Amino acid sequence: MRHFLYLTNSRLVSMVTQGKRIAARREFAVSGAGAGEFERYLAGVVDIPTHLFVDLSEEDFRLDTIPHVGARDREAIVARKLSQIFRSSPYRYAVMQGREPEGRRDDRVIYTAITNPELLRPWVDAIERHAIPLVGIYSAAVFSAMLLEELDLVFAHTLLVTFTPGQAMRQTYFRDGEIKFSRLTPVDLEEGQTLGMMVAEETTRTWQYLDSLRHFSGDDRLEVCVLVHPSDRPAVQPELRDFAQIQYRLVDMEQASMKLGLKPAPLDSTDEEVLVHLFLMRPAANHFASPELRRFASLRRARLALNQVSIAILAAGVAWGGYNVFRAFQGNQAEQQLVRSIATLDREYDEITRALPSFGVGGSTMRDVVAFYNASIRSFPSLPEFLVPVSRVLQAQPDVRLSQLAWQATDDPKAMPTMTAGGVKPNVNVQSVAKSEGSAPQQPPAELNANPPYAGGKYEVALLEASVRVGGNDFRGALDRVQKLAEAIGQIPGYRCEVVESPLDVRTSLAITGRHSGSDPASMEARFVLRVMRERVVT
Amino acid sequence: MSTTVIAAAGARNLRVSWVLLGLSIAAAIAIVLGSQWYRERESRESTSAQRRLSEATGRVEAARRERDSLQESAEVFRTLLERGLLQGEHRLDLVEMVNSLRVRHGLFSLDYEIAPQRTLQLPGGRVYPALEVLASRVKVKLRALHEGDVLGFVQDLGQSRQGFYPIDRCLMRRVEAPADALQPHVEAECAFEWITLKDKNANRAS
Repeated sequence: MRHFLYLTNSRLVSMVTQGKRIAARREFAVSGAGAGEFERYLAGVVDIPTHLFVDLSEEDFRLDTIPHVGARDREAIVARKLSQIFRSSPYRYAVMQGREPEGRRDDRVIYTAITNPELLRPWVDAIERHAIPLVGIYSAAVFSAMLLEELDLVFAHTLLVTFTPGQAMRQTYFRDGEIKFSRLTPVDLEEGQTLGMMVAEETTRTWQYLDSLRHFSGDDRLEVCVLVHPSDRPAVQPELRDFAQIQYRLVDMEQASMKLGLKPAPLDSTDEEVLVHLFLMRPAANHFASPELRRFASLRRARLALNQVSIAILAAGVAWGGYNVFRAFQGNQAEQQLVRSIATLDREYDEITRALPSFGVGGSTMRDVVAFYNASIRSFPSLPEFLVPVSRVLQAQPDVRLSQLAWQATDDPKAMPTMTAGGVKPNVNVQSVAKSEGSAPQQPPAELNANPPYAGGKYEVALLEASVRVGGNDFRGALDRVQKLAEAIGQIPGYRCEVVESPLDVRTSLAITGRHSGSDPASMEARFVLRVMRERVVT
Repeated sequence: MSTTVIAAAGARNLRVSWVLLGLSIAAAIAIVLGSQWYRERESRESTSAQRRLSEATGRVEAARRERDSLQESAEVFRTLLERGLLQGEHRLDLVEMVNSLRVRHGLFSLDYEIAPQRTLQLPGGRVYPALEVLASRVKVKLRALHEGDVLGFVQDLGQSRQGFYPIDRCLMRRVEAPADALQPHVEAECAFEWITLKDKNANRAS
């Protein structure tokens, strides 16, 4: 919501806007009574930012050029010029209008001021007393340049003619869209004079004035744009006749309002509502109000900014907090899901545990028992199983007589079971004399170790002591028979067999004794020892 | 001068706004810190739950593996239980069994010796965490008419339905005697381990 005041020499119009439309309008007479009424009225619009447009005949314009300098210096020059030209008025303003096309290319400036500040005093004092946030004081003439732009009425030489509340006509001259001059004339029609006649007379007079100031060349033509309500059009249009130097353009107030989006359109030819609406569309910078006059607006802006910052911080905090809570909530939901999963897993664990075959012992015990059985007992060798294939081979050798068998299950592939001495007494005339090596051990079978380690049984080793019946002194035949027997046993799958003691050891490292007397026997029993080994196949 | 006026008026005019700003900042900080604390607490709890889930998953997987493993070996274990592997030594049973085998196989004589029970040293120093492997060394000396009787005795002993008696040594020797005489023709000396197992966990539980 904003509050606009439009001050002329005879009326003060108050317009309160909401959004882009004028929501309330009230007029006050420029008089003591009007000022009192206005002061009472202000009590209801205390906190609304207020903009004051002035459209007074006491507004003066001066054109000038200043050297093109830096911004800071330019401000100083302009301020000094303003104070020199308009010494008695605090309401002064300078419009920078670009640079001269030639010469030093100085900056073009137009100075404007309300030359009689007393006209504003009662209103500004009332605003001050009520601490109204005055955003700015604007020159209606300067601001009306925007109207030309919005209505596409920018010509090389344009004279904008508008009517103000309180029966006055403002003529503002623009060259290439830049304001150069403006004057306000009371609409004080003489008898028989129409509004159109007055407009024609006044605009012609203004042309003459501008021409005297050499604003026009010979070919220039002044485009006079008159903003007029349809109700006044019949009184104006017939009197406006174009000349070579002047061309009139009647700008229909309703059409202009439609183009600007002003609804509803003004009911008469006064331009205050159009300018206010234009200001809402294209806000302008302050023209005349000093910082002190604008302090309540500044404070209000600061307060709003602080409040907005407060709200923003609070909103950011709430948003951040909300995000944290949201994430925490998500985490909480995920945690609940996890807890449910854990409970499910715990139930499954309990079910598995309950369903485990326990047999009264723990799972590890059961596992160890089975592992021990598989590793140490299940495949442990058996003597009968070992002997069955060997026996089949021996049965095929009727001349071989087994006298002693020493069998051992062991993990040592070089193990040599212990036999007892005196199993076979060979009846041979020739014998090798064994020292100790190479013969089967013949020790008492007693185990010296009272705590022998468990025989893993990877190997089965057996010593077979036997004799073979051959012809007398047929040692060659005996050796051959024993060798063939060993080979036959060795051919059993998984068996290996070697001759440990042969019927006659003919190695050169041993001694041989022979005793022949009388006649040799027809046959002899030749002793030998075989070592048979079987390796357990691990499945 | 004007700046001073604005500053003085502004201080009064904006006092509430400044207070509101301070309160907003404080409230925002409190909200953020509080919510952050709550979120971190939830995060910690979630992490803890993740850890517990991981543990529970591991526990269940271990239980599944144990179940699968035990189901495979349950039948074996049942058989071993029935054979008294976990029941300790009942020496009288062994005495009776050996006597019955002697009678069954018509042995002429049977001498045996059962050594004190000891912890059995396994190959490679292998140890079972839940088991103590005990064994008593048993030596038998027997005389028989025929080696088949000896082998039958050994076979029956090894296949006994009660206990495990892995025979690791055997010496069989022919005894000289007239072939048709009713005298021992074979004598044998065998040794085996009488193995029993002890559940370490049972001791711990008790």
